[in-house]
Amino acid sequence: MKRLLVLVVALALLGLVLGGCGGKEEKKAENILKIGTLSPLTGPYAADGNDIRQGAEIAVEVFKAQGGIPGYSDIQVFPQDSACDPKQAVAAANKLINDKVSAVVGAYCSSSTIPASETLAEEKIIMLTPASTNPQVTERGLPYMFRTCGRDDHQGPAAVKFMTDVAGVKKIFIVDDKTTYSQGLADGVESAARAAGIEVLDHDHVNQGDKDYSAVLTKVKAAGPDLLYISLQNSATGALMVIQAKRMGIDAILMGQDAVYHPQLMEIAKGDAEGMFLTFGAIDKNATAFKDFQAKWKEKTGKEPGAYSAYSFDSATAYLNAVKAAGTTDPAKVREQLMKLKFTGASKDISYDEKGDSGSNYTVYQVKDGAFVPYWNSLTGQKY
Amino acid sequence: MTIRGSKKLWTGCAVGLVWFLILLWPMLGIKPEGFEFAATFQVFGYVAVAAVFVLFFYQVKEAGYLDAAGKPIQSAAGLIQRAYAKTPTWVLLGATLAVAIVFPLVTGRYAHDVAISVLIYICLGLGLNVVVGLAGLLDLGYIAFYGVGAYTYALLSLNFGFSFWLCLPIAGLLAAIAGCIIGYPTLRMRGDYLAIVTLGFGEIVRLILNNWMALTNGPNGILGIPRPELFGFDFRSLASLYYVILAIAVVTVLSVYRLNYSRIGRAWEAIREDETAAELMGVNTFLLKLLAYAMGATFAGFAGAFFAARMRFVGPESFSFLESAMVLSMVVLGGMGSIPGVILGVLALVALPEVFREFELYRMLVFGGVMTLMMLVRPAGIWPAKRVGRRSEEME
Amino acid sequence: MEFFIQQLINGITLGGVYALIALGYTMVYGIIQLINFAHGEFFAAGGYMGVILISYLSAQGLHPYACLAISLVLAMGYCALLAMAVEQLAYKPLRQASRLAALLSALGMSIFLQNGLMLTQGVYDKAYPTEITSGGLSWGLVSVSYMQMFIVALTAGLLLGLNLLVFKTRIGRAMRATAQDKVMSALVGINSNRIIAITFAIGAALAAAAGIMVGLYYGSVNYSMGFVPGIKAFAAAVLGGIGNITGALVGGLIIGMVEVFAAGYVSGEYKDVFAFVILIAVLYFKPTGIMGENVDDTRV
Repeated sequence: MKRLLVLVVALALLGLVLGGCGGKEEKKAENILKIGTLSPLTGPYAADGNDIRQGAEIAVEVFKAQGGIPGYSDIQVFPQDSACDPKQAVAAANKLINDKVSAVVGAYCSSSTIPASETLAEEKIIMLTPASTNPQVTERGLPYMFRTCGRDDHQGPAAVKFMTDVAGVKKIFIVDDKTTYSQGLADGVESAARAAGIEVLDHDHVNQGDKDYSAVLTKVKAAGPDLLYISLQNSATGALMVIQAKRMGIDAILMGQDAVYHPQLMEIAKGDAEGMFLTFGAIDKNATAFKDFQAKWKEKTGKEPGAYSAYSFDSATAYLNAVKAAGTTDPAKVREQLMKLKFTGASKDISYDEKGDSGSNYTVYQVKDGAFVPYWNSLTGQKY
Repeated sequence: MTIRGSKKLWTGCAVGLVWFLILLWPMLGIKPEGFEFAATFQVFGYVAVAAVFVLFFYQVKEAGYLDAAGKPIQSAAGLIQRAYAKTPTWVLLGATLAVAIVFPLVTGRYAHDVAISVLIYICLGLGLNVVVGLAGLLDLGYIAFYGVGAYTYALLSLNFGFSFWLCLPIAGLLAAIAGCIIGYPTLRMRGDYLAIVTLGFGEIVRLILNNWMALTNGPNGILGIPRPELFGFDFRSLASLYYVILAIAVVTVLSVYRLNYSRIGRAWEAIREDETAAELMGVNTFLLKLLAYAMGATFAGFAGAFFAARMRFVGPESFSFLESAMVLSMVVLGGMGSIPGVILGVLALVALPEVFREFELYRMLVFGGVMTLMMLVRPAGIWPAKRVGRRSEEME
Repeated sequence: MEFFIQQLINGITLGGVYALIALGYTMVYGIIQLINFAHGEFFAAGGYMGVILISYLSAQGLHPYACLAISLVLAMGYCALLAMAVEQLAYKPLRQASRLAALLSALGMSIFLQNGLMLTQGVYDKAYPTEITSGGLSWGLVSVSYMQMFIVALTAGLLLGLNLLVFKTRIGRAMRATAQDKVMSALVGINSNRIIAITFAIGAALAAAAGIMVGLYYGSVNYSMGFVPGIKAFAAAVLGGIGNITGALVGGLIIGMVEVFAAGYVSGEYKDVFAFVILIAVLYFKPTGIMGENVDDTRV
């Protein structure tokens, strides 16, 4: 009858773990400011997920180096893995609630951010997403949901405006990989393109986890578009598609979006990525705020900042600034301060509107000599 | 332990460690700039020290030096076991139920969330247990029925305003029908062919959920699913939802228990042990195998409907192959065909990753390792089912 | 027509990759009836070992082709060692236990190895030096890269070699004997544990070769790359008749073709649905796969 022993021990352990965790941390919780991050630390999007975590950590380090926030003895970051899975994201959100965090930076996939934000909203915890661009994220009337990046329903039209005004294309082919984000954006581009009088030859899909896009690309080649719009969830798969498109001899202009915007693209696709266009929020890489951030990032990670590193850094910075101004973590007061907040972040000038959006400033970048070079600004309609 | 045995143990350990080093170093040490050894030996050092320590501990224990500490534990365990044997079953069950009922009153939000997950997986595990444990049909696409249940509730409640309690049986029914559809073509297959076909079906269902925009809203999933409501009481808090799933789980446990000891359950076991013989004895294998799929799917349908109501969001990501594999692991790890076993398996596999959340990046590594280790230590599961009589393969 | 020919070429290449992975599945299954879920991870580990070795060797100034050849051999050897270690630790103790226990142990190993790769190699994709293999031929719409030819040639070569090994050598005979009856083959003096270890090693070496091919052809490797091709290759192995070496090739080619043609002529998002529907349909009418099982099913 070892079973009973096993059972008793298992139950006791479980009880200890579940019950005990909450209890022991409360005593010293008085004046430690706790921030959670929620991003995919494992799985196919782990690269961007780690960028988000480290961005928030660096923001906290910067604040600590400046002497912290009055009234708080320490600032701590609690990273949680959402695995880009709604269920895990909700579990992680509940875990963060248990850890008594006052704000969460995350998540990455829109499909995780939405359910996790519902959970966090029940406890009035402020959530700032650095990466989820699906319009639904801030359209649900949640008062404590903020977004530091842009929105898909701005990105699609910006891309189409580039196609008509600058590139002058007539026929396009759209490919997405069927995620909330990538498909939503591709649909937006499709409808905007039709409205603008561009012929959409086809809108095809690939599956996540695929490496072989030859079948779809053969179709692209046969259709002969002026521009191939690539809406994939991941920069590495974007790179694979670019390589295969070039190998197949597709001479259409290649255009990608913000998820493909990552140094990984050039690392993997190398010369094949040259000349590709991408839409991404305008980050002024010559601004001092970005340069300071870049230096700190390199010092900590030894790499160039990823696509969402600066947004995550700014999300955390915005929150910490608001807490500093409010002098408390009371969500209503912090929200008030966040609304008033105006500062120059590493990514852009940040100020939140009533919905929690911070505005989109999509810019078209071009890959030149292995780097992203700003090419055209959708707001001003000017080339750089 | 003899000196020879001890020697063998230590040589085995040494060979294993050298082998590990050979496997580890190329991954960590070969850089375009040249060879590097520091990182490798750091990791290797930790592992080696841990291995030597474990082995040492094992030997000390084998030699009997730990009896002083082990004896009291053993006698205490014996005492508990005697008490356990004497206590009537209903007292134990009552106590378990009482603990389950009191649980949300004394714990926090995170614990509620994990407990709800545990109960959902108990329903899933017991449902799969009917298919795999009782009828012996390996099913790698079981999560598809869970998805059918979840989308049934999501769509019916949002489009037609059906209440949760009405949708629950409908979800079960639709899942059962899906079970029959999937079960029918697989009836001729055995063993691993069944495995790949069910896996294929699971993937097909997931892909349809992901691609049929008009019905399921594709990858965006369905948002804003209403919570359950009963006579004006809104199941708002996690604790109240906990009681809903607790009730569903209790019903599941009771039904599976009754099925297990019914004529049908016996017939399933007969099919599992030897299909040809069972057919010769007059068991209608065709109908019973279909019934196994349908019954198993029904419980998954219930769990799915609740999952949709609890998350208030369903999306295709929740119904991937990995989920199927997870549920199967719970059943096998706990002990196939045994209800307490499956419950223990669920506790182990849901609780472990949550406990390991503290390990962050090492979470899944440890999880995978522990899973293999548990299978090695207890290949028949934590709490194997009692079987009647002896089997031919046990005589070998 | 050109469109069709191009898709055919795409299908053969993809099918070749699946077949190379499926061979390992089928060999292991044929001998111990275990679905080795960790096989996809051997494939990923091979891909990583390839990129590590190629970058190291080319930094030493070796000729690209020499780099490739040496890396291929070393990575195959590495994965063989890895597979033997996994077999020894996670499968051998479970040989007498129920098959589901071994299956779960394999699943645990798969998760463990995948995360081990993630921790040692990082979460970012690793880029392959694609310059080695760029270039190709093209006629109008149709283009074939040298890499595609290389993949097909390598698959064919390895398959031929494997067939010779299994049917013409002493080890091959011992493998077939062990697959048929472990007790009996032990009685005639075959060390079945050694034979099983060798089978694992060969299967993993083939997976490593496939990993390097995939890395070179597509341009990068990442730690989770083994999962999807692993499932497809498993389907291919079953489709062809599990345990049957020619079956793995046939199954791999069919799955590859179906996927490519479904994506080319119908719709990209439903291509996997087509692949699985074909699989189910074939198994419904021919429950032991196209080429049939190579083992009698009295033991099942």
